[in-house]
Amino acid sequence: MSSIQWPSPSPGRLFSALRTGAAAGVGRWARRRQGLDPATTRLRPGRVYILPTGVGIVFGIMAFAMLLGSMNYNNNLSFVLTFILIGIGFVSMHQCQRNLVGLELTFAGTEPVFAGQTMRFGIAVTNHSKNARYGIRLYREGIESDIQDLHPGESKVFVLAVPTEQRGLITLDRFGIRTFFPFELFRSWAWLHMDISALVFPRPAERPPEPPPTMVAHGHRQHDARGEEDFAGLRKYHEGDSPRHVAWKAYARSGQLLSKQFAGADTSSQWFNFDDIPVDDVEQRLSILTRWVVDADRTREDYGLRLPGEEFAPAHGEAHRRACLEALALFEKGTT
Amino acid sequence: MMVRPRGTDGSLLSSLPWTIAALAVSAAPHLPYLPIWISAALFGCSIWRYLIERRRRALPSIWLRALLALACFLGVLATYSTISGVGPGSALLAIMAALKFLETRKRRDQFVLLFISIFLVMSSLLREQYLWSLPYLIVSTIVIMTAWLRMSAAQDETARQSFATGGRLLLYAAPLAVAMWIFFPRIAIPFWAVPMDTGTATTGISDSMSPGDVSKLSLSDAVAFRVKFDDTIPAARDRYWRGLVLTVFNGRTWSMNDPFEGPRVHETVSEQGDPVRYQVTLEPTHQPYVFALDMPWSWTLERTFMGPQQQLVNARPIDQRVAYEAVSYLDFSTNADLSNYARSWYQRLPDASNPRTQSLAKDMRSAAGSDAAYIEAVLRKFNTEEYFYTLEPPPLGNNSVDRFLFDTRRGFCEHYASAFAVMMRAADIPARIVLGYQGGEINSMAGHLIVRQSDAHAWNEVWLERHGWYRIDPTAAVAPERIDLGASNAAFEGFGAAWGLSAPSEFLHQLSMTFDALDAKWNDWVLGYGPDKQTDVMEWLGMRDPDWQKMILTMIGLVLGLIALISLLLALRYRPPAKDAAAVLFQRFIKKTGLEQGIGETAERFAHRAMQTGTLPADAVESVTAAYHDARYGPVDDDSAIARLKRAVGAIG
Repeated sequence: MSSIQWPSPSPGRLFSALRTGAAAGVGRWARRRQGLDPATTRLRPGRVYILPTGVGIVFGIMAFAMLLGSMNYNNNLSFVLTFILIGIGFVSMHQCQRNLVGLELTFAGTEPVFAGQTMRFGIAVTNHSKNARYGIRLYREGIESDIQDLHPGESKVFVLAVPTEQRGLITLDRFGIRTFFPFELFRSWAWLHMDISALVFPRPAERPPEPPPTMVAHGHRQHDARGEEDFAGLRKYHEGDSPRHVAWKAYARSGQLLSKQFAGADTSSQWFNFDDIPVDDVEQRLSILTRWVVDADRTREDYGLRLPGEEFAPAHGEAHRRACLEALALFEKGTT
Repeated sequence: MMVRPRGTDGSLLSSLPWTIAALAVSAAPHLPYLPIWISAALFGCSIWRYLIERRRRALPSIWLRALLALACFLGVLATYSTISGVGPGSALLAIMAALKFLETRKRRDQFVLLFISIFLVMSSLLREQYLWSLPYLIVSTIVIMTAWLRMSAAQDETARQSFATGGRLLLYAAPLAVAMWIFFPRIAIPFWAVPMDTGTATTGISDSMSPGDVSKLSLSDAVAFRVKFDDTIPAARDRYWRGLVLTVFNGRTWSMNDPFEGPRVHETVSEQGDPVRYQVTLEPTHQPYVFALDMPWSWTLERTFMGPQQQLVNARPIDQRVAYEAVSYLDFSTNADLSNYARSWYQRLPDASNPRTQSLAKDMRSAAGSDAAYIEAVLRKFNTEEYFYTLEPPPLGNNSVDRFLFDTRRGFCEHYASAFAVMMRAADIPARIVLGYQGGEINSMAGHLIVRQSDAHAWNEVWLERHGWYRIDPTAAVAPERIDLGASNAAFEGFGAAWGLSAPSEFLHQLSMTFDALDAKWNDWVLGYGPDKQTDVMEWLGMRDPDWQKMILTMIGLVLGLIALISLLLALRYRPPAKDAAAVLFQRFIKKTGLEQGIGETAERFAHRAMQTGTLPADAVESVTAAYHDARYGPVDDDSAIARLKRAVGAIG
């Protein structure tokens, strides 16, 4: 179901600015206090924070009003009702905090996306205890995951869908886990700082110029009796080579994967050259290159990529595509 | 202007029925007091809202809702002409809930409905408190909490889970509530005046009396008050509970005199004999009258004063159950010298009314010779002539006393008291009527006296020269058993026996006495837990000179302690599972070898590697591995393998 938006009492501009500032300060404090979390982190009680929600504050005011009423009327049964409600308030505070303590969070991976798409960070949350945890959700400024229950021993992946704008590395430097269980009177939460980052490829250009023409190099054909091209030698196996060309006999002998090379095979290839694109803007050039790479990959033709200071020889396959896109994503951004 | 979407998507289907249930439970005690159209509105709007959700329809438009709201508000104003007090307040709450249903779009909107239901439960407790009020409030709290959990639960959570969670949290909260309830200091004086509740019907004795108007006396078994005597309980014929005094007769109705008009000089009372000490727990009457054994001498109820005719009146209506101690003297005399004004006041009769009675009285008085002989004669007339005691007398028209004395000759205490007083006044003897209770039933199990509404009684006081006011009960002359057995039993003797009915069985009687004893204890200890009782309890618990600071501190300490305990319980409940003993022991063994277990390396392979390094004797390693395997993969309840493993690991230096 849709997530319940919580609780922002009608923010004026100044108020929201103060709020953002305070949140940033508290965030830095929590980061200093907790340090960087390992990829698998179990929530200790000391790092699960708790505050009343708007509903909780109204509930408290109501309980206080009921207490005054009971005192005024000297009515012992309405005292009972009032004290039960106050007691439930106290209990739900502890229950709310315990609903998070002991949960184990593990980074469950992510897939690279193109800029403008949504980066889906998966975080697995495991409940090792013998009791269910209710109404758990993950969040990051303005983003909230689905709300899920975790039954005893259960592990579920929560997805934080972060929108991306720019190519490069996107880091999930901070995210939170929170719950309002049981009565939404309190919000308890924990901040996590894991070393999580993912790659955002450049946004593929929508109307790219024509890619450079395909160069078909016709080899000198010397068919042998079986109609195959001339065997020219062996080279080290590359990912994407056809299994038909693997020298299985050689593998059996040496344990090393080698591919047969044939002279005279048709080699059609495209070269995508950064410098040849008639556009000034670097980002646009990268965008266009990205589009070409993606399109060429679909046709399963060989293509090569030439960036200033970096070159990928014509090839095809997932590894090649990935290497090219990575280079485009991180171009002039450094790869630390 | 932004138009809020009014469509529904069925997302409230899991929580809406529970919210409706919570409101139904909390509104139920109000139904007898609410105007029927408000109950109908609440019922109708909740069902309407549910059907809208079911069929994914749109909510009614803002104009329709505003119109309904205005109509309802005007309706409440027209019904109550005010909006303060428990009656109009709960009516407004119910109406607000009904209207809120129609604009509940998101799950969160139901918070308002649940807050309203909490307030409805609270106001029903302010209205009345019974033995079943506590179970009721617990049940309604559970329903409200379940509805609350339904509202915020994930969609796949079942209602049973919500119910279990609500019940568990209530269980945790219970000791906290009890501790706060016992120790929270009770204060005697309210902060602000409790608003007069005009919507509540008064019970018990009315402040005027028109014999023959209502031709049937209600035989309500409701408890008027309970009395605990310090010593022995006086005999039934001595238990006259004085209430109010009627002095004005208009030919048909007896009423109290205006306090600024009638006799205002207090009569002097002289008491003789031993005082009777007792405690009264008076049920709320919404009237200011306070009852005490005739003749009251002292009482502990605040703001209660004695009127000029020795009637006790509180400054405010008794809207809540009150307890007070009182001392009375059964043997007393009033030595009032009646002023001429007072004497003429108590002799006043409307000239034209009841002519037959007036002439009869004059004849009898002159025949009797003295006032005392005349009184004797009138009582003898009631006793010997054909007068009957009945709780269902025929109606009387104008000149009701004439009709009663000469024609119908049937009636209960009011008829006889009224007729007697008219007879006296017609003969120029000052007379008045006292309303109160007579008798009461002894609950031997609890050791107290129960006085019920059906024990309501009317009797007379006449003023005799040199003697003062003198109590005369003309009903006793007609039906002595009424005084000795009580009103309902007396009526039963007369009619029940004639129809072949037997008195209620002994078992049922025992049952009702048990319930009464329980009810009294409940009133005494729970509903009546006030400043005095709290001080007693604190002293009993060992607190020296209890005051509110000490109680508050004790309460805070207890609450903090209990919260720590609950926190510990929750921590245990949510703790990660313990590692199994075999794994722990094997880890200890690994540590002793000085090696590290590789990822995915089984115990057997590790043992093999440990043996190869040769740091430990091979047989020791082997026995550890064998015991470990037995403990891990043998029968679950086999503890000997664990013991063997422990020994084997321990044997390694």
